[in-house]
Amino acid sequence: MTIQLLDNVMSPEVGAQKGPAGPPPGMGAAPPGRGMPPPGQGGPPPSRGGPPQGFGAPPPPSSAMAKRLDTLDKKTVYLVDTGFGGSYQFMLQLQKWFKENMPSVTTIRKRKPGNVFMDDNNELWEEVKVKGNAVVLGVAG
Amino acid sequence: MAAVAAGSRKLEGTYSIPVAPVSTYQFKSVADENQGTTKQNIPFIYTPHPVIGLSPEALDKYIVGNDPDTGKPVIDEIIDVLTKPIKEKKVAAGAPVAVKTAPTELFLKPDTEDNLQRLFYERGWTDGLPIILPTEERVKKMLAGTSASPDEVVAESFKFDTREMVKYTVSNIAVIAVMAGAKPEYFPVILALAATRQSSLMPSTTPFEAMVLVNGPIRNEIGMNCGIGAFSAVNMANSVIGRAWTLMSIAHGFAKPRQTLWSSQGNNHTYNNMCCAENEERSVWEPFHVTKGFKAEESVVSIFRGWTFVNSTGAASNRSVTEELNIELSVMPPLNSSATIIMDPLVARNLKENEGFKTKLDFCKHLSKNIKMKNGQFWKTDYIDMLVASAAYNGVEPYASWKKLPDDALIAPYHIPENINIIVVGGETSPLWKCADYGYSGSAPVDKWRAHPAGAECKDSECGLPDAPGEYDK
Repeated sequence: MTIQLLDNVMSPEVGAQKGPAGPPPGMGAAPPGRGMPPPGQGGPPPSRGGPPQGFGAPPPPSSAMAKRLDTLDKKTVYLVDTGFGGSYQFMLQLQKWFKENMPSVTTIRKRKPGNVFMDDNNELWEEVKVKGNAVVLGVAG
Repeated sequence: MAAVAAGSRKLEGTYSIPVAPVSTYQFKSVADENQGTTKQNIPFIYTPHPVIGLSPEALDKYIVGNDPDTGKPVIDEIIDVLTKPIKEKKVAAGAPVAVKTAPTELFLKPDTEDNLQRLFYERGWTDGLPIILPTEERVKKMLAGTSASPDEVVAESFKFDTREMVKYTVSNIAVIAVMAGAKPEYFPVILALAATRQSSLMPSTTPFEAMVLVNGPIRNEIGMNCGIGAFSAVNMANSVIGRAWTLMSIAHGFAKPRQTLWSSQGNNHTYNNMCCAENEERSVWEPFHVTKGFKAEESVVSIFRGWTFVNSTGAASNRSVTEELNIELSVMPPLNSSATIIMDPLVARNLKENEGFKTKLDFCKHLSKNIKMKNGQFWKTDYIDMLVASAAYNGVEPYASWKKLPDDALIAPYHIPENINIIVVGGETSPLWKCADYGYSGSAPVDKWRAHPAGAECKDSECGLPDAPGEYDK
């Protein structure tokens, strides 16, 4: 025999105040408490209330796609691994494929500097701009 | 995924460099979400999943094999993406609009208990266990456990799936506390947990777990167990407070499979997040919260997070505690020198009275100096390579120096003693301990959420009474 509830039951999702993506003013700071570890210390990244970098933030102002190459023949292609597990070995094998099958293509393997989960610096992209013609970027997972 | 999407967008748009972005097919939905709202049509190429852990021969097959999304060879797509025009997306004019979740009514329609239990489960509001249904009366009673206004915002959270920021009030958390089975006197601890703005569930493919530690007078006032069987499933306060954290994480949207919940195997420590209290009365050292700058008389909740947890099965009768810990911690190369060791009061007393470690930090310094690991073991650990190698490449010490050492060189990976956390918990039936790779994620004060000042007597004599006096160590 089931019990008939005489009272209303409240939803756990209701009453929360929702806003658009991106941190509202004042967000992004450490949660309260004197015991918060300073940046860069401690173990795995805590899951804080604000969106992680790369999420929620608006894309850069430019909306253009680069002009594609006519051919890869005699071009320099950077094979950039993100540092995510398996990416290094994948790019190693991709470089091997180019050497065996398209030897006129120069490949340069690099690891993306900075955090594995975000695009947080331009150092390598500046190098590619000077020395390269295209990039294979991955492997996301 | 975010790094590949954002990097591709920048290379294409800012540097005018054509990019072939590669992802595994498992994360196509995330790649689609990361497309952004510009005209850029980031042309993701997919390999089968996973890439990690495969032999070179298997990866060769991925490269010449087909993209599971298009049925075309991956290598052909890479070449095509770099040499053939990419269509721009058609985008609507105006500012991007976040996808918002559909509104839900505050009060659900009255129904039978069975039907309402089923409704909560089917809506993904529970941890799979039955809940206490949050009736208006029960929520009102819970709100009496704090002096905070029901409308006060306790926490803000980012919803990964809808890209919304969500603010949670005291009332929202009260509903969760009722669902978890909390007594009103537990509510200040649960509010403090919410105020950390951290989720017990992480949107990671790895099996993250977390731990909740309560320090200060409120431990005894609400009958938390810090003695015998503190981690066993026997104490209401420990069980319910830890559960409430995961229930609020679920309600905050962190448990939607393949949207916000990606952990391939999951982790059942998240049912109650190993919630316990420190045995301050039987510890020979200062309480954990005091080591973090709080006063002993303050009540504080602290959070730890990591992946790996080891129970000691021996009491160091043939080796020293340090030698035993060296063996146990060697399976978990530390991220930023972090470890958490939870030791029985007997162990702490022996370390202080017989081995001369006057403080927790003294012992941590000893561990830091003496625990060694082969350099190759450290760097070939996936998360070390993913999260620490970039620091080494940027010259950050000691990682830059370690990176130059041969694989068989011994390093002292716990190089920051302050990042080793020592907690004293247990009932003194055996000198055992537990150790984990947990890092300290922060603390939040409990007292600001109390219904009455700490130590004040409740008018109804109901608040602060421990459960079943005498059942556990006091």
